Amino acid sequence: MIWQSFGRWFSALLAILALTACTQTHSNEIATLSLSGWQSSPTERQALEQILREFEAQHPQIRVRFEVIADQYMDVIKTRLIGDAAPDVFFLDAFEAPLLMQHGVLEPLDRYIQPDFDLADFEPNLLNAFKLQGTIYGIPKDFSTLALFYNRRQFADANLSNPPQTWEQLRDDSRQLTLDRNRNGRIDQYGLGISPELARQKFVAQAYGGTVVDRRGYAALASRRSVRGLQLIIDQYRQDRTAATPSDVGASSGSEMFGQQRVAMVLEGPWAIPYLQETFSDLEFAIAQVPKINRRSGTMVYTTAYVMNKRTRHKEAAWELIEYLTNKTGMKAWGEAGIALPSRKSVLAQLGRDRDPLYSPFVKGASYATLWQAGENLPAILTHFNNQFVSALLGQKSLQQAMEDAQQAANREIQAQNY
Amino acid sequence: MFKSLIKSQQRQEAFSGYLFMFPTLLILGVFLVLPILFSIFLATHRVQILGEVSYRFVGLRNLTRSTADPRVGIALRNTLEYVLIVVPVQTILALALALILDLKIRGKSWFRVIFFMPTVTSAAVLTLIFMWIYNSNGLLNNLLEKVGLPTYNWLGDPNVALKSIMIMNIWSTAPFFMVIYLAALQDIPTYLYEAAKLDGANEMDRLWNITLPLLKPVTFFIVVMGIIGTFQLFDQSYIFSGGSGGPNNATLTFVLLIYQYAFKNLDIGYAAALALVLALIIMLVTAIQRRLFKDEKAN
Repeated sequence: MIWQSFGRWFSALLAILALTACTQTHSNEIATLSLSGWQSSPTERQALEQILREFEAQHPQIRVRFEVIADQYMDVIKTRLIGDAAPDVFFLDAFEAPLLMQHGVLEPLDRYIQPDFDLADFEPNLLNAFKLQGTIYGIPKDFSTLALFYNRRQFADANLSNPPQTWEQLRDDSRQLTLDRNRNGRIDQYGLGISPELARQKFVAQAYGGTVVDRRGYAALASRRSVRGLQLIIDQYRQDRTAATPSDVGASSGSEMFGQQRVAMVLEGPWAIPYLQETFSDLEFAIAQVPKINRRSGTMVYTTAYVMNKRTRHKEAAWELIEYLTNKTGMKAWGEAGIALPSRKSVLAQLGRDRDPLYSPFVKGASYATLWQAGENLPAILTHFNNQFVSALLGQKSLQQAMEDAQQAANREIQAQNY
Repeated sequence: MFKSLIKSQQRQEAFSGYLFMFPTLLILGVFLVLPILFSIFLATHRVQILGEVSYRFVGLRNLTRSTADPRVGIALRNTLEYVLIVVPVQTILALALALILDLKIRGKSWFRVIFFMPTVTSAAVLTLIFMWIYNSNGLLNNLLEKVGLPTYNWLGDPNVALKSIMIMNIWSTAPFFMVIYLAALQDIPTYLYEAAKLDGANEMDRLWNITLPLLKPVTFFIVVMGIIGTFQLFDQSYIFSGGSGGPNNATLTFVLLIYQYAFKNLDIGYAAALALVLALIIMLVTAIQRRLFKDEKAN
């Protein structure tokens, strides 16, 4: 055990040495930029690398090295920022942006932006996610919303013709879609697949006017209004027994359990479309908007930006890369891959995503969606929510009690950090 | 005159002695003493590490904060439960396996190789394989269902998640200690058994009065190593829970908590304080064990 961990540290040390050695050996003419991101599917990587090759062809003095960080993306990025080994340009989720903007590790982009870049073309909500006190720190590359994926064959088998419009209908439909085919007491097909995570449930908590984070940045999970929304999920899981989490059916994600036909409905983002089409080619699915809760439309919106490391030594080149990837042509090329929706209004219209039956529910959702971002304490709040929500889901305590515990633990942690 | 000559000679010898030790001292100093001192320094400071680096002295505030942190309590409880179950079980299992393999059975070298396999496989790979086995529709549940036993959500249910890790870890580390026991068994002189046989001792008598007492030093070693290893449980619970310690903090171990504070929250000072607490706990437990062991020796 001891030598194992020693070996691990030693190889980490070697890797750091190798990395720093690499960044110091470029010649004056050619700038080598490092770009880091994650990938939701191999398609995504291929699409991005294609665009990067075109960029290099047009900018012979710049090389781009794209690196995928497979796991724990933000931990890796933060550690590299501290160790001065961070990439020049990297993906940043809106949810983690407040922390990095606050600590001044990102390069402000305002002075690079030319009028012909047409900043007004971006969806304002998405751009604002990467602004702090009027300064822009990131250019949103795309966005995703959640929509209802439903299995058409399973719907037809249950004599359901249309996807549910309201949450009450969704629960009724779920009852009809939950089947125990061989009557062994273990359910083979559930109505709804749920992800017990704050990232997916925040809009549910807000459906009755609740909030998750208050104005001072503290958790406000246990308010009567937040609990009322979340109770819908708990009731369906515990009382109706028509919902399942991925681990209940032995899947690792919502889209996987939907693809395996263990659930008939699931709330997922556009990233699931290429995945389902490639991995489960005989699956017949369609997509609708998220059913209304409390007669209000709601969903989540996630956005990611390209940001520049403040310590990069090739600021102009880094901006050229960001500019190329997010201008109208670059974004169109990226949007065509279909993993997420372009954050420029003009490109969104040009690609006709609002008329495409698969993508239009996501586009419509954008107008009423809740942004997945709430100050720099959200990462701390999220951990406690996820823990306690699971215990409410399993019936270890009431949802009210669980949310009070989560709120108290999160706020104590936030407070403890400020001494 | 003579005295001072001796003295200067002594000094010279001392100097050359230190000169010989200098490379070792330097390496130990840089890689062992300095990090320990630095972690004590960090533990007494509030560290801001992202962006502008700054250190602010806060005295023992990091330590007092840990006493009010509910997650520290949970992590400590999980870790203790883990140690208290895993160490005895894996020690007894290792001993039993070693005793069986020490018998004259056919193909025992094959059994040794097979039993040793889990130990040479990387922990990360083992964990991933076990996650497949533990899957709700996986091998284990299907087996349990076939023989009519209840099935569990091994990964998702907080009541059993830690037990799943325990089972896996016992399975993978017991063979390592088995090999140590095997080596020790081979060291026990055969004349002791022969003499006992002449005196009319049966198999059980020989096991209780010869084998086990002579294995005591090895058992001490195995228990100490087991306790240190189990207190430092990290990779299995990290992979199991994707770094969160979930479901519902059920697999949150002390080292995982330290990791979360250090790398997720970037609260380096607090994480260093917690690491010191863990080091103190392990030292304390080992010291108690040594005391127990010494007493028996004196008797």
